[in-house]
Amino acid sequence: MTAIALIVGAALAVGAVVLVALPFLRDPAPVDDRLDAPGAAEERRLALVEERDRALAALKELEFDHRTGKIADDDYGELVGPLRQEAARTLRALDEERRAGPSAHEPKVRQVAVPAVEGEAVADEELVGDGETDVADRQVVDEPPIGPLEEGRDVQRRGVAEAK
Amino acid sequence: MSTRSPARLIVALAVAGVLAVFLVYTALAGRSTPTLTPSQVKPSTMSGRLSVVGIVVAPLRGDSHTTNGLHFQLKDPTGTKPQIVDVVYHGTKPPPLFRVGRSVVVTGTYSAGRLQGTDILTKCPSKYTTAPTKA
Amino acid sequence: MAELGRAALVVSLGLSVYALVAGAIGARQNRRRLADSARNALFCSFGATLVASAVLASALVRHDFSFVYVAQHTDRSLSTPYALSAFWGGQEGSLLLWLLVLTGYGTLAVFVNRRLLRDLTAWVVPVLGGIGTFFAFMLVAVSSPFNTQTAPLDGAGLVASLQNPYMVAHPPMLYLGYVGLSIPFAFAAGALLSGKTDERWIVATRRWTLVAWTFLGFGQLLGAHWAYVEVGWGGYYAWDPVENAALMPWLAATAFLHSVMIQERKGMLKVWNMVLVALAFELSVLGTFLTRSGVVNSIHSFAKSSIGGWFLAFVVISTLFSVTLILWRLPLLKARTKLESALSREATFLYNNLLLVALCLTILWGVLFPIVTQLVKGETRTIGRPYYDFFLRAFGLPLLLLMGIGPLIAWRKTSVRALVRTLAWPIAVTVVCGIALAFAGAGSSKPGIIAYSFSAFVLATIVLELVRGTRATGSLFQLVSRNRRRYGGYVVHAAIVLLAIGIAGSSAYGANVERRLTLGQSATVDGYTLTNRGVTQRTTPRATETRAVLAVRGDWKGTIETGSNQFFNPPEPAQEVAIKTNWWRAEDLYVIADELHPKTNVVYVQVLVKPLVNLIWIAGIVFLIGSGIALWPDAREQRRLVTRLAPARA
Repeated sequence: MTAIALIVGAALAVGAVVLVALPFLRDPAPVDDRLDAPGAAEERRLALVEERDRALAALKELEFDHRTGKIADDDYGELVGPLRQEAARTLRALDEERRAGPSAHEPKVRQVAVPAVEGEAVADEELVGDGETDVADRQVVDEPPIGPLEEGRDVQRRGVAEAK
Repeated sequence: MSTRSPARLIVALAVAGVLAVFLVYTALAGRSTPTLTPSQVKPSTMSGRLSVVGIVVAPLRGDSHTTNGLHFQLKDPTGTKPQIVDVVYHGTKPPPLFRVGRSVVVTGTYSAGRLQGTDILTKCPSKYTTAPTKA
Repeated sequence: MAELGRAALVVSLGLSVYALVAGAIGARQNRRRLADSARNALFCSFGATLVASAVLASALVRHDFSFVYVAQHTDRSLSTPYALSAFWGGQEGSLLLWLLVLTGYGTLAVFVNRRLLRDLTAWVVPVLGGIGTFFAFMLVAVSSPFNTQTAPLDGAGLVASLQNPYMVAHPPMLYLGYVGLSIPFAFAAGALLSGKTDERWIVATRRWTLVAWTFLGFGQLLGAHWAYVEVGWGGYYAWDPVENAALMPWLAATAFLHSVMIQERKGMLKVWNMVLVALAFELSVLGTFLTRSGVVNSIHSFAKSSIGGWFLAFVVISTLFSVTLILWRLPLLKARTKLESALSREATFLYNNLLLVALCLTILWGVLFPIVTQLVKGETRTIGRPYYDFFLRAFGLPLLLLMGIGPLIAWRKTSVRALVRTLAWPIAVTVVCGIALAFAGAGSSKPGIIAYSFSAFVLATIVLELVRGTRATGSLFQLVSRNRRRYGGYVVHAAIVLLAIGIAGSSAYGANVERRLTLGQSATVDGYTLTNRGVTQRTTPRATETRAVLAVRGDWKGTIETGSNQFFNPPEPAQEVAIKTNWWRAEDLYVIADELHPKTNVVYVQVLVKPLVNLIWIAGIVFLIGSGIALWPDAREQRRLVTRLAPARA
């Protein structure tokens, strides 16, 4: 066996052992040896955030399909109401969760930083920009399916957002 | 809005549809070809469409383009059994890899103790990596 | 040097076993340091496999014939690229390539996700370790590339038809596809094992699946192109078991790519997605089993080898594992919403999935049929080409149609009225095209004209989508860049349509004629007149080249040479066909010289005219472009994923 082969082989073996043992060497007496999994409270918030994003994405997609003419005005009118209500509900639920605050949660060694979990309320696909839907982000919107916006259909089509 | 999901119905219909297509095909046109080694071929009882897997035995006589065809024999691929099959092959010239000693699959009609071959599939000898060819 | 290779593989095996065992314990008992240690072991197994691969690669390049493998698959005359390509030319080397890609992908996937989804990733490590253990075990104990011998003077060489750029690229590309399907599988298993069965594992592996699927698809097209150009029987796909072995997982992965979109949006089809990803993975391993075991007759099959039994055992065990996992976690896989209407985009995705899986399973049945009949009846029966052609049409044509309808249907439900309104323009285009095609003579083949018409329909719907979208957003570039997955997907659909047109054209239309030509004799095929100008023979250092020289007149003018080469080392013949592309008529003139008699100048030729065949290769390029668009990273999405899925530290 050549010298290079011997050196490489030895380096490989030593390197493997070191890397495998590294977590134990680095932290021989850990404060907390649990996996960094999200706790129950964080899970709840995550789930709500994902629900909100899904609802907003569905709404944005509907807007886009309507704008490109794939969905007719009457179908749009029928579909937009429930979607808006769903979006409003998720925004509300998230707001309530946020307002409930850390006091409502079990004490944990690792506290969850609220802004980090929130992230951006960006839809999976930027089909329609944030300012272009009829539902402004981070606002509670709760209105009946047929409302003043429907009357301003032409205004909608030009992409003017109406914040409530 | 319907309260019962049509999903189950759709899936059931779709599976039924697929099965129906499958059954119709096998009933009307489905033909699988028995693929046998020379030791499995029974000259007295067999006839019809057949594929024989074997090793080409010398001599190669004739020309596949003529009416007489190309004559050769196939022996058992394991080399342990003595049976051979007579083949008369008509059609395009067998692919370049076809030669005595090669493992091939000949497809055709078997009657009167002889395989009238119309298609030859040649395999490369195991020593090499493959160069697939098809007649 | 071979000892280093062997040692490196043993180290890789040991590390894989550790990753499996320690990873499972660490995940189960929620022990962070142990889980991290197992993860590091996975990374190191990649390093060890890399060392082993480097040893083999260097032996190949150095023509070190003391390695049995090198002597079997190369010779001194091979240039470096081809010598290197022999790495995956044989069984042992291709197993090593599999392990290399597996550990490489695994390392990258786990590394990228190391701070996200910690509880899920903790389970991904042992699953990948388990797969790695199998392949490393095969390499160490059953099929080693590092067997040595006293070096012969020269090796056996590489068959000439494999000394070709396509054959250099085709196997690694397929492997990047096959093995790549292990990643979504491992993450799915991780989701089930950790109990985190929401959509996060799908979001984390979305790009991996797409990359693997793209490699697998493009790799198959490379293989088809090689078969068309090099092997020279006039076709590009023979429904050979080994070809099907790559097609089946690709079809399953296509279905999976579509159905995960439903799960992401609607929380439906959770069980179905788990089943699909397991199916895709099992089919890719099964494919290797079929290719390597010699169990089915195939023009590609390698010699009957001992690894067949091991692979079969692995497929059986991993299938049982997947089924048990899914059944155990069934309660966690309840759908969030229900399918509301048979006429909705969710429903069309469902139909698409059913058709794709049906096609996949029919191909699987055809491939396994000889084995089944052998076991049941004691007699091997094989299924021929007509079976596959029939089902390709039966399932493929409706799929083509769905590709056009699907994007135009809305989510949740669409009324028939709305659908007809949206489809009016594309249907009109289709009818006009159909009539025009019938006049042009395409009516000679019913499936052909249907395929053409459906293709026109799909292309019309894609154009409609692009036009409408551009009108709404103002710029095509903006439209596409803001919706990369959707419009990338449309481009991929366009590629599939081009593929369909190319396949329909070259198989349902054209000509296939055999003639015997003496010197000066002519034959006319479909507008081309070929005259035999004699048979030439010349000798080069590598081969004796025999060619029939034919003068062509008519739709294309020129001289072609077609014939065969008899190579010296290894002493093998190879067909050298003449292919001339008539771009004006969008067809290929394909001439095979069946039999050549240099002394009498007599030649038997097979003349094929293949309309639109080059669309198939063009489709490959469009396919890559579409995939690229869909894969294009999105900074906002990345930020969101990271902030969302990584736990904050106090």
